[in-house]
Amino acid sequence: METDIEELRSGFLNEEFDEVAFDIDGQRFAEYALSCGEQAPRFTDPAHADFQAPPTFVSTLVGGRSLPVDFPRLGGVGMDAGKGVEWMAPIRAGVTLTGKSHLHDIYTKTGRSGRMIFLVTRMELFDEEGVHVANADTRTVIRERPSE
Amino acid sequence: MSDTVTTVGDVEFGTELPTFAPDTSLENVKRFGKFVGWGGPRFTDHEAARKEGFPGALVPGVMSQGFLGAMIHRWAPSAAIVAIDTVFRAPVLVDQPHQIVGVVTDVDEEAGSVEIDITITNEAEETRVFGTATIKLPTG
Repeated sequence: METDIEELRSGFLNEEFDEVAFDIDGQRFAEYALSCGEQAPRFTDPAHADFQAPPTFVSTLVGGRSLPVDFPRLGGVGMDAGKGVEWMAPIRAGVTLTGKSHLHDIYTKTGRSGRMIFLVTRMELFDEEGVHVANADTRTVIRERPSE
Repeated sequence: MSDTVTTVGDVEFGTELPTFAPDTSLENVKRFGKFVGWGGPRFTDHEAARKEGFPGALVPGVMSQGFLGAMIHRWAPSAAIVAIDTVFRAPVLVDQPHQIVGVVTDVDEEAGSVEIDITITNEAEETRVFGTATIKLPTG
């Protein structure tokens, strides 16, 4: 692995840099479910006994920061390259979740247009009892400018 | 074969999920923007998106990921999606027809676990979004 990436990994991986509280609104996740094409009543019907957020809903929860405050500017344009979700337990309407974010991975890929740096920010979500209910990953790709 | 599955015993390696045509209409994306977020002009206004250099308004990535989840639940209503990873390869454009196809790539009958590859393609059959998911189904 390149030296600059090793330095970023050793300096920033797995260090929590953001904590945000989310009040989970059942109408919001029901509308999310309906607009995405969900048909299962447990996701779309607030009156359903097992009403809960679709697992992918946690990707819509946005933290206060996406990178540590002292993370260096890498040059190049950052783009959303993907989302990942790990689901551990149902998320119900009316609960307050705490999202704690850290950099989970930093890696590169090199193509014909040069090097691309991938930053994976993981938000770990906990309920009011401290139960870990989900992880929401955001993968950002930075395509380095040719001169760098 | 039925269009839906109930238990892991209903699933075989290589099973193709029923194709799903997501609603990428401007009206639906505006609804998503109103209630969920991502209601900015690049998602809800074709002309504004073109001014930013895009071919037209974009379906938010988080909505595309939601399409994948919905497709799985339409096929397996009792499934718990325990992991899903989504790669945004190229924009999904609003008001353009897209289809989502999926195929089962692994089945663990004892654990009730099924792995699925899912792809969103446009009318030109170009891959726009690719995903992999692990779901749990009842073993009974």
